[in-house]
Amino acid sequence: MEKVKFQIKLKKNLDFIIFGFTGSILLILSEFFYWFSNYTLLDRYVIATSVAIEDSFLYLFPFLSGIICLAASIIVVYDFKLRIKSVILSSVGIGFLLIFFIDFLSQESDYILSLGVGFYLFLTGFLLIVINVINILLTKEKESR
Amino acid sequence: MDSNENSNQNDSQDVEGSFYYALGHELRRKIIKIIGDNEFSSFTLLKKELGVSTGTIYHHLDTLSELIKQKKDKKYYLKELGVHAYNSLKDDIKLIREKGFAIREFKSPFLRRLMVITSIRFIQFKKEDRIYAILISIGILIIGTILSRLNQFYPLLLFFIEPNENNLELNFQILLILSFLLNFIIYFIIIEGISRLFYDKNENTLNFFISFAIVFFPMVLYLLLHYIFVYSGIFDISIINFLDKVLMIILQVWSLWLLSYSMSVKKGLKIETTLIVSLLLHYGGFTIILLTLI
Repeated sequence: MEKVKFQIKLKKNLDFIIFGFTGSILLILSEFFYWFSNYTLLDRYVIATSVAIEDSFLYLFPFLSGIICLAASIIVVYDFKLRIKSVILSSVGIGFLLIFFIDFLSQESDYILSLGVGFYLFLTGFLLIVINVINILLTKEKESR
Repeated sequence: MDSNENSNQNDSQDVEGSFYYALGHELRRKIIKIIGDNEFSSFTLLKKELGVSTGTIYHHLDTLSELIKQKKDKKYYLKELGVHAYNSLKDDIKLIREKGFAIREFKSPFLRRLMVITSIRFIQFKKEDRIYAILISIGILIIGTILSRLNQFYPLLLFFIEPNENNLELNFQILLILSFLLNFIIYFIIIEGISRLFYDKNENTLNFFISFAIVFFPMVLYLLLHYIFVYSGIFDISIINFLDKVLMIILQVWSLWLLSYSMSVKKGLKIETTLIVSLLLHYGGFTIILLTLI
């Protein structure tokens, strides 16, 4: 019985799972894939920390954002009534992405045309999270979730 | 014992079903309102008010058998459930017509806590508090202008840009100094325009304008904290730099919340709708910055 209930809940929340969970996981994964020729963002973070660059934390932002957005997606799947909390939490996650985007583009604009798969995972994840937030807000509670 | 409970449950489900079914048609809702408003109604009055055929009225009266009854005087009266339906209809309409009906969206403890930092008193100020609201707004705008000049950060919606002032002509430099104020006016015009054009909400414009500066309060707070970090020389420390960025993000989200809340309260829009508008505008601002960077 519990299994059936769980399956029904999964089906009802399929859109949030596809957009929210996939987007968050892509953001987390993007941290561990190559962005520059041989470096992942994690490598860049380690290098930047070792030479004491002040905004080395910037390279962790996609990962942090992924964690926050994943938590927000879990909240909305757990209980749709918590959607406003989920949206506010997602906005914090997206905020990290926007700051990262702006700082990254101004600092690393030379590499923009030769970016690796990590960047594209990040971009896809970012778009999925934005779509998820809009989808949550457009979905009416009365749709018996 | 179990069978009794089941039968009671089924009965209540039947009553609930007929209650909502009865309210599910406009004509039936009108019938209940006519009878409720007049305490009772004759068939002739119903026919006159509804303007539909006799057969249609009889059909709907049959459907409403759980909610209304016909007494010996041939008049129609509301039963207990009918009175409840009538009150419910009246309350719903009252709730929707109330200017502050969006408040019902904020029932959860989390959102109530958010409202504490949202300064409801400032956003929903009373007539006698209007002068204080104006003074607070002016204060926010003046402090914001000074701090953005000190930090050489200039606002674009809820973001900040750092243009190289040396390359700019004098006119543009003056515009930059006033950018906090200009940003406030442009942002207000965009929000008011969206409310009017897309949602047909023309009311409360002056009050909305007076309290709109509160949206920028978190930005002023950020500018102040950033200035303290830079002035005290600790900004170059990695963890402080990180803290500065986290503060900026959290305060931006706070600004977005204030914007959504004010729009919801002043324009009577649902909080979901106002959140969509404020988020889309925010991402629009981000896109402009991104394009200028590229």
